[in-house]
Amino acid sequence: MSFDEQFDVVVIGAGHAGCEAASSAARMGCQTALVTLNLDLIGQMSCNPAIGGIAKGHIVREIDALGGIMGRVIDRTGIQFRLLNRSRGPAVQSPRAQADRALYRTEMRQTLEATPNLHLRQGLVVELVILDGRIVGVEMQDARRLRAKAVVLASGTFLNGLIHTGRKTYTAGRAGEPASLELAENLKEIGFSVGRLKTGTPPRLDGRTINWEQFQPQFSDELPVPFSFSTQTIEQPQITCFVGYTNEHVHNAIRNNIHESPLYSGQIKSVGPRYCPSIEDKVVKFPDKGRHQLFLEPEGHNTFEVYLNGFSTSMPSDFQQELVHKIPGLDEAKIIRPGYAIEYDFVDPRELTPFLETSRVKNLFFAGQINGTTGYEEAACQGLLAGINAALSVQGRQSFRLSRDESYIGVLIDDLIKFGVDEPYRMFTSRAENRLSLRYDTADLRLSIYGREFGLINDPSWDNFNLRRDRLGRLRTILDRTRFKRSDTAYQEIAQTLNVDLGDSVSLSQLAIRANVPIELIRKFTPFNHSYLPSDFETVAADFLYSGYVQSQKNNFARVFYNDSLHIPPNLVFNTICGLSKEMIHRFEQAKPTNFGQARTIPGMTPVALTNLLIYLKLNNTL
Amino acid sequence: MRSPDTIVALSTPPGRSGVAVIRLSGPHSLDYLKSLLRKTDFSPAPNRVSLHTLRDPESDEILDRALITYFKSPQSFTGEDVVELSCHGSPVLLLHVIDALLRLGARAADPGEFTLRAVSNGHLNLSQAEAVRDLIEAQTHAAVRQAARQLGGELSARLQPFKDTLIELIVPLESSLEFVEDDLPELVLAQLTDNLKQLSQNLESLAETFRSGRLLKEGINVALVGRPNAGKSSVFNRLLASDRAIVTDIPGTTRDSLSELLTIEGVPILLTDTAGVRQAGDTLEQLGIERTRRAIADADLVIVVIDGSQHLSGEDEAICAEVSESKHLLVINKSDLEILYEGGLNGVTRGIQSVTVSAITGAGFDLLRHAILAPFTDSAPQDTSVLITNARHFDLLQRAANSLYSSQRAIQQGASEDLILVGLYDALRYLGEITGETTTEDILSEIFATFCIGK
Repeated sequence: MSFDEQFDVVVIGAGHAGCEAASSAARMGCQTALVTLNLDLIGQMSCNPAIGGIAKGHIVREIDALGGIMGRVIDRTGIQFRLLNRSRGPAVQSPRAQADRALYRTEMRQTLEATPNLHLRQGLVVELVILDGRIVGVEMQDARRLRAKAVVLASGTFLNGLIHTGRKTYTAGRAGEPASLELAENLKEIGFSVGRLKTGTPPRLDGRTINWEQFQPQFSDELPVPFSFSTQTIEQPQITCFVGYTNEHVHNAIRNNIHESPLYSGQIKSVGPRYCPSIEDKVVKFPDKGRHQLFLEPEGHNTFEVYLNGFSTSMPSDFQQELVHKIPGLDEAKIIRPGYAIEYDFVDPRELTPFLETSRVKNLFFAGQINGTTGYEEAACQGLLAGINAALSVQGRQSFRLSRDESYIGVLIDDLIKFGVDEPYRMFTSRAENRLSLRYDTADLRLSIYGREFGLINDPSWDNFNLRRDRLGRLRTILDRTRFKRSDTAYQEIAQTLNVDLGDSVSLSQLAIRANVPIELIRKFTPFNHSYLPSDFETVAADFLYSGYVQSQKNNFARVFYNDSLHIPPNLVFNTICGLSKEMIHRFEQAKPTNFGQARTIPGMTPVALTNLLIYLKLNNTL
Repeated sequence: MRSPDTIVALSTPPGRSGVAVIRLSGPHSLDYLKSLLRKTDFSPAPNRVSLHTLRDPESDEILDRALITYFKSPQSFTGEDVVELSCHGSPVLLLHVIDALLRLGARAADPGEFTLRAVSNGHLNLSQAEAVRDLIEAQTHAAVRQAARQLGGELSARLQPFKDTLIELIVPLESSLEFVEDDLPELVLAQLTDNLKQLSQNLESLAETFRSGRLLKEGINVALVGRPNAGKSSVFNRLLASDRAIVTDIPGTTRDSLSELLTIEGVPILLTDTAGVRQAGDTLEQLGIERTRRAIADADLVIVVIDGSQHLSGEDEAICAEVSESKHLLVINKSDLEILYEGGLNGVTRGIQSVTVSAITGAGFDLLRHAILAPFTDSAPQDTSVLITNARHFDLLQRAANSLYSSQRAIQQGASEDLILVGLYDALRYLGEITGETTTEDILSEIFATFCIGK
């Protein structure tokens, strides 16, 4: 078999997953090709031009801590930064930023082009070349063949993509871009279990036609919190977004024309994400709600285009325009690009290993929406893990996985491969059993050691990390040891500020554990406080705040989750296990769990049945 | 396993037996034993059997005399520190010992957990695998399994409303954290506190019903009623006589009083003879009826004594009607004479459980003692497996209630929602160990059904 070019790793798709995969594999020393349909749309944000948010911001921090690129790119191109949940516990705070969509693309392309060993190629992959159950390359539409020792497939919504606007449907990967049809067929031929999912996007408006006075401004934070641990300051000028509402006129119009929506006419059968409902869904499912929130988000510094967040729809284009006009302030607003719904193929992620490699084809990795997830951040972190593991397997090194208790990325991959998906999977903090230990500000402390080991963290960043870790250690000791007695003036001032009795004496670390003690108060009374950054204080205070909870949760979860990763052989005959009732055998056989974690969550399991299974597995593991 | 907790369970097969073994395994086994023996400096030689008195660590009451063996890690069945207590086989006594251990901090073992720990610690090899199999089979003996399932099913149904309420409380808290940018209703913490308080109290009262040591702590009030000359006093004295050695005085009463404390299988019984309320020459006059009624109202169990040597009289029937609302038992006395009593074939005595005794010869009193205890030792006093399940349920329900109390404290301290939720999720998990797990997916579904979420 002849090939036009030879690579170690080929990455298909240059969205958020593909970019991270290519960047990490190349920086780990692999000759890496990144194949995309359109070199001008690298790192395109196909939906909302924003990165982060609760749980998603955590993921971006983890990507950055591992040496990924998303955090740095958004820090250079973000035009409205806000730290969400500022008034709540630090574990559920998370950064979010609006991006300048065009700038983000440019910055991402520049970042990739500046990466040694990374080669951009434009083209449409139509076939995965497989030899003896192992991937050996890809073939493109123009007949070029690229040889690869490992391939990462990050196809986004392009596999068999079908766009709906009203009754009109057409194949496309995104609006204005061709779908990937041959490759979708190829995956089915290989034998992958393929399903359909749906997502949607709202219309974009011409900002010059909006009456902004009718909306409430939403400002960026005065002191933006960056995503990357290596970013010192955010330099992009910050813009203002605006908040408004739909009304009963809009809702009635939608109700009266609901048959026009492909979601309700039966035209779309696949499932969309419940947390990104279309406006049709909102109106139908919550008929009592008189108004729904809308956000007007400018798409960048150099464009008038405005993203109408909260108004995702697949109604006919002309009707979308009619609806928009019913919203006060948008009476004259012109739609530049109509909203649409898109259906696309995904592959059941239960076929994946924890390293995101397919169990069907050796050295073939899947990342992003093909695995049933939604969201740029969810895609990017899979791309990073897939890229790292592709490089590791090319280099003959041990594969890399993250556990649930050390990262959201671990939670995400574990959920995917254990439970599969029946709607696009989005991260929430509640998916992480011990979210109190997975704070956005500790991602580096949890994960940077891995990034460094893979060569994804350069010397200056590593030095910075070590300095920070040392500072945190010292500050922890200082807060523990700085103690004030009732007679001290500091004690009196603190007690007065907080208006509580603090006992005979109080240490700064004890203060940190109390709810609602401003960090500034602790900082004020810390000796040598100028040697520490404000973020150091926040991290150490949060460590103290959560320490008791984290310890007791650790004890609780150790027992519940300890055996979750225990593998169940696919050919296990459940009725050979002692002490299982017929009913339990039936439930096991139906659910076909591949590890103990899955078995544990089968509805109706009795503790006796699980223990019997566990004993069987343990015995057979050790024998 | 990393730093496991210490578990406790009855490790002899279910059923009534002369001797039963309670086994503790885990790092605190020896500490808990010391507390039961009330000897902080107790340091037994491993693998040696010795006889000791077990006491309730709170009340100092004597629980039992037991043979104690300490196995030091790793030279034990599970590979951890293990303590075995060979106690007398009375289910109620055993459960009081287990209850005391739970209060000390031990956790009721999951079914098969000892074996599991042994396997995890590499303490079972190929040749022992066969033995393990037998053991598990014993633990999942068909009858036991059925009893556990019935109980579990019934309990699951009772717990469902608790879980529903918990999820109702979690949904707004969780939504306010996850969906900050959505247009959600404001959280009302005062309302939440009230609901939490209510829920934790309800859980605690439910837990209390599973508490095995409850009877032993509080005792059972038993009233003896019956018409004159039925033989109440002789039954009273005969019951006391069998227990003479451990009769103790109750404060405020004297030897002449009509209430006496005795124990049956370790359970304190306060026995009241209503005979004394009657004056000589009175029939069922006004005062007597009043007093008898009050005694009946206070009693956990009413024993109606009937003279078996006579036909059932109108007076007997009146008394039976009087106690029909209470838990009651018929004692047909004077079995040493010719029995003329019709045996509850008709009228008000029909279908009531009865025991035939002779206060003169003592015949039937063993049966009577069992019959007195039976209604209080759960549905099947002989079946220790049910009682073991109860100990585990008590443990889990109490832990769930405690978790909710910690959430209430978090609210009082002004902690953020993420900390308030810790206790709620813990409680849900403990209940889940009885009824099956509630997954994140369940909660997310509830959130999306409740609120319109999403931009």
